[in-house]
Amino acid sequence: MILAWKDTVKKVKDLVDKAPVCYCVDYDIPTDEKFTEALITISGKTFVAKAKISKVTGFEKGKECLKKRKDGLKTCLKLDKIEEIQDDVVNYEEVNGGSIERIESFAFIVKKEEAKIELKESYEGRLDKDVKNVLKITEKKHYQLPAKVAEKLVEVKRKYDMEDKDFDKLIDAAIQKHKETSVDPFEAVGIVGAQSIGEPGTQMTMRTFHFAGIAEMDVTLGLPRLIEIVDARKTPSTPSMTIFLRKEVKENEEKAVSLARSIESTNLLDLSDIEVNTTESFIRILLDKQKMEERGLKKEEILSKLKKMRMQKNTIEEDGLELKILLEEPSYKKLYQLYEALKTYQIKGLGGIKRAIIKFDQKNKEWVIYTQGSNLAGVMELKDVDFTRTRTNDIIEIAQVLGIEAARNAIIEESISTLQNAGLNTDVRHLMLVSDMMTFDGNVEAIGRHGISGKKASVLARAAFEITSKHLLNAGLIGEVDRLNGVAENIIVGQPITLGTGAIKLMYKRGD
Amino acid sequence: MSKFNILYHEMVPEHILVPAEEEEEVLKALNLSKNQLPKIRKSDPVIKSLEKITGDIEPGRIIKIVRKSRTSGIATIYRMVIGE
Repeated sequence: MILAWKDTVKKVKDLVDKAPVCYCVDYDIPTDEKFTEALITISGKTFVAKAKISKVTGFEKGKECLKKRKDGLKTCLKLDKIEEIQDDVVNYEEVNGGSIERIESFAFIVKKEEAKIELKESYEGRLDKDVKNVLKITEKKHYQLPAKVAEKLVEVKRKYDMEDKDFDKLIDAAIQKHKETSVDPFEAVGIVGAQSIGEPGTQMTMRTFHFAGIAEMDVTLGLPRLIEIVDARKTPSTPSMTIFLRKEVKENEEKAVSLARSIESTNLLDLSDIEVNTTESFIRILLDKQKMEERGLKKEEILSKLKKMRMQKNTIEEDGLELKILLEEPSYKKLYQLYEALKTYQIKGLGGIKRAIIKFDQKNKEWVIYTQGSNLAGVMELKDVDFTRTRTNDIIEIAQVLGIEAARNAIIEESISTLQNAGLNTDVRHLMLVSDMMTFDGNVEAIGRHGISGKKASVLARAAFEITSKHLLNAGLIGEVDRLNGVAENIIVGQPITLGTGAIKLMYKRGD
Repeated sequence: MSKFNILYHEMVPEHILVPAEEEEEVLKALNLSKNQLPKIRKSDPVIKSLEKITGDIEPGRIIKIVRKSRTSGIATIYRMVIGE
């Protein structure tokens, strides 16, 4: 454990100059806590000095010490060594879960746990030995067969107990078939993809009604959801998470219930009625016993949470289930500011998660938590959560927490499951193309005017899509050049389009 | 950083830094120039994690990504690291 406190620039300088020194502070630091290190902050954002402490004693008058203040001193610290440092504040967290920016006086902090970063076992490494062999053979034939096809071939070989000579013929046949079925050069895959998603899309329900999802959880489905995915909205209209538990606790219902409870975020308003008394300038909080029990909270916890709020000058009076917050000096504005802050003050849980329910998955024999609202980074840090499987339907959040490639996977999976839920069978390849395009630039971009369609290289193609005059005017102003490489621009100027046979130039070679 | 290793997440495919010497070979096989590759940001969480293993990754480097694919089993693609 490390002690952290807030100080002034001058005092820190003094300490550095005079160390080793005895330093008296006005904080009531418990002398029985064991710690030898201390970090000092000035701004509350980063730590500027690191000190070694050998002894902590109560304050006695008449002692020869450097004093933080003139009066009200409570504890003396013996500093053996102190040095100025540059440290990143994010590496620490407060022992009882608070954030370091809140340090007003002193706090005990610990270094944040950090996961060891290593690569997982490679997918190629996990392939069957025979499958690898097949891939090697095809490589010699200068062709790359997909691993899935190779797996099938091996399966067939084992089933019919094939000889190597026959198997070689089979591989040749597979290569031939694969060549035939692969996409031709200059095939208009984008148009085909658009058609293949668009046509079944017309059969989707235009507007889905609520409570259609898993166990009275509200999930957007159908066309609205598909539009949401393709538009790359900042937050989906119904963010939700699926949380899996670690192998050891996944069958433990108690653990699942307590975890679900602990992540549900609870505001003060969820537990109590808050009244503002303007004449006498105080706020009365009437706690609801039943609601508190439902959420497994005690009055003491709420009180200690409230005391952590930034309001040292206000005093809290308690009387049974009634809490009274008195302002130091009457101020109408401050009273209302405090009231607004109290209403949304989070007592418990993770920010963003409104509700969490648990459900038993019969197939995998485990408890799964479904949530309304999403906080991927927060949930993944929890101890009992299997973070490798935990997921959210918020694609932008996935891009932020897990990276662009995970976002690409999320787009594919979300869109295919939306389509399949509506009973439509669209080939994944079309959706793969869509998600590849959406994540091409390194961040998730929408399809449409603000996203990839607005970033086409050709002016004419952009003008043909939306807001024609703006694009043409702009292009004229800056003197843009259109190289006529795409499809739309060639249609406009009346040339053969650059697709299929139109994309290649044939020359006649005369035999001499 | 965080308490978990994002590289273990099932939605994150394998990311491998291509050694600078091999870059040319990769591009030649694909018949592409570096700028035609899809991009990945230097601020991408996966790149940040990779940097813990390989050290600083400058913009312009190539990352090999091995995906689990629904259609072909395993698929390899490349992305170029860009700043911010």
